[in-house]
Amino acid sequence: MFQAIYRWVDERIDLKTLQAKLLNEPMAGGARWAYVFGSVLLFIFATQVVTGILLMFYYAPTADHAWESTRYIIEEVDYGWFLLSYHLWGSSAMVAILVVHMSQVYLWGAYKKPREMVWLAGLGLFMIVLGFGFTGYLLPWDQRSYWATVIGVEIIDKVPLIGDFLGRFMRGGPVPGAQTLSRFFVIHVMILPIALAGLAGLHLFFFRKAGPAGPYKGTPAELKSKMEFFFPVQVWKDIVAMGVVFVIICGLAIYEPHELMEEASPVASDLDPEPEWYFMFLFQLLRDPMFLFLFSGEWGEFLGAILLPSIFMLLLVALPFIDRSPERNIFKRPIALTSWVVLMISIIFLTIRAYQFRE
Amino acid sequence: MAMQPKITAKVACTDRPVGEISRVIVDPLTQEISHVVVDTGGQDVVVPAQLIDAVTEREVRLRCASADLVRFERLRREDFLPLEEVEIPHLERKLHGVQPGEVLVPLPALEKDVTRRNFFTKFTAAIGAVLALPLAWPALRYITDPMYLPFDNSWLKFGRVDALREPGVPQLLKFHKSVREGFLNREFEKSHWAMRASPELLDKIYAGGDMEFRDASGEVVWTNTKETDVVVFSGKCPHLGCAYRWRKHRTFGQAFICPCHLSIFDPSGEPVEGPSPRGLDVLPVKVVGNEIQIIDMEFKAGKTKQVRIV
Repeated sequence: MFQAIYRWVDERIDLKTLQAKLLNEPMAGGARWAYVFGSVLLFIFATQVVTGILLMFYYAPTADHAWESTRYIIEEVDYGWFLLSYHLWGSSAMVAILVVHMSQVYLWGAYKKPREMVWLAGLGLFMIVLGFGFTGYLLPWDQRSYWATVIGVEIIDKVPLIGDFLGRFMRGGPVPGAQTLSRFFVIHVMILPIALAGLAGLHLFFFRKAGPAGPYKGTPAELKSKMEFFFPVQVWKDIVAMGVVFVIICGLAIYEPHELMEEASPVASDLDPEPEWYFMFLFQLLRDPMFLFLFSGEWGEFLGAILLPSIFMLLLVALPFIDRSPERNIFKRPIALTSWVVLMISIIFLTIRAYQFRE
Repeated sequence: MAMQPKITAKVACTDRPVGEISRVIVDPLTQEISHVVVDTGGQDVVVPAQLIDAVTEREVRLRCASADLVRFERLRREDFLPLEEVEIPHLERKLHGVQPGEVLVPLPALEKDVTRRNFFTKFTAAIGAVLALPLAWPALRYITDPMYLPFDNSWLKFGRVDALREPGVPQLLKFHKSVREGFLNREFEKSHWAMRASPELLDKIYAGGDMEFRDASGEVVWTNTKETDVVVFSGKCPHLGCAYRWRKHRTFGQAFICPCHLSIFDPSGEPVEGPSPRGLDVLPVKVVGNEIQIIDMEFKAGKTKQVRIV
């Protein structure tokens, strides 16, 4: 029966050829565990879409009902706590694996010619994922989300010339309120998913056009002798990795379910507002006494929270055009290796300090 | 299926060999080979496929004499597109055996006029722009609609003077505020810090003279003077807008401390440590009987000078 349907479809759309083209992608040097991260990210995105849509069945995106409906999802709807916690841990997993994926491409020199466009589309995806984290954080409309957004948008306000407009645009007014929630909601559930799906498609298209980079060492003969198609071994490795990540996210959701704080309120409380863990280093940078001479005063936040990250992103964009040597072995690229190590150590150092600074 | 003429196959007319096949031309609708292009040694002759008598392993035999070839057209390459540039479903199933090599598809007769094609390209872009523009302005106005609102200069009941027991000790006072946000009428609580200031503290706070508060037009809506010893500090930290607290600090004693980025302000609101670019914002205040009233202004955080936004 299935065979008959398959043949019927194939006759009309050439399904067999399409399937073969998708699966028979030659990979120099063969399948590896190191290549699973892109597929894992796609998988997490898929589960975020599914859990996100399920959350929307009960969530009400208005300031007078957002918190109450989130509380309802967590406390009353069957498995609501699990799906919501999965969605939150899924977002963390997305950022974590994204950092691994980007680091790997960077260390493997896989951004170099002819893969520049794959890299650029990837950077766009990185920004979109951060946008997801920032906008999604507000939606539960509890104290944690409210205050993180108050501060986050104040930072956007510090962009020269257009900052005031951008801040008002994000907030839907001069101060955070009901309109802010509506805007973050539509950005989170419509604009960003469409952008991410589209750009991820482009990313994959560019990747398939350029072909996988493969290992950075090995003679052409070695790479050829170990050559495999994407299917079956890499597909198998990808699915195992997806399984592992799925189990980890489920475990975190079950043992560390999300706890809703009190409803958002501009009244001063005992809460110490802080952003998601992946923004903690930036948060610490703005308040650490070590750097106060740089990041205080009128231009401090602009310098620390806008200019520095923008320069960093621009450097990443420019990377394949600056670094044009075909050498891909990371141990023969001392500047690339050193800058990665320094960046990672700084982020880890600042993140640890941020948690030490909790009152 | 009959054997197909292959590219580079030898071609013979009824009387003698004439060259080899350099290209084949496919009809995009019937998906059949309509012509073969015979390279007769410098001349590319377009021969209709009906003239093919037989296709063998060795050669393609034509049903005409070599002298007849002059009657056929020479290939005008610009009137054709390579097969890769045309979307023809399932063509590869019919055309096995002719690739690799150039398989050509004729441009539609109506499209051979290049200037016409250019005209349509430009016209399509122009109409696209004309369709998009009328939507752009309403869309922009629509999404920016609530962004700029007039300032609210109304006086709100903030609390009772006798709630401020000890002079010089700030109290966090909560008050109710109603706002209309879009379609929502919301009432929520807000809080600011209020205190009765000692004469010394008042001198410090009013060191710059009376405090004027202005509307968007620049018109002064209220002036705070030293005559009122009640001082209200906006609860919003002037660094990045967090809610700060009144706490004991090791170095500075009792002080306003912001938990977010650790800005510290002395009881007069002056910044003494941390990243804040300016001191705490004093709000317009008046005491009516036992009741403190305020205008709930807000100022932009992160600026050295006060910029009113609400």
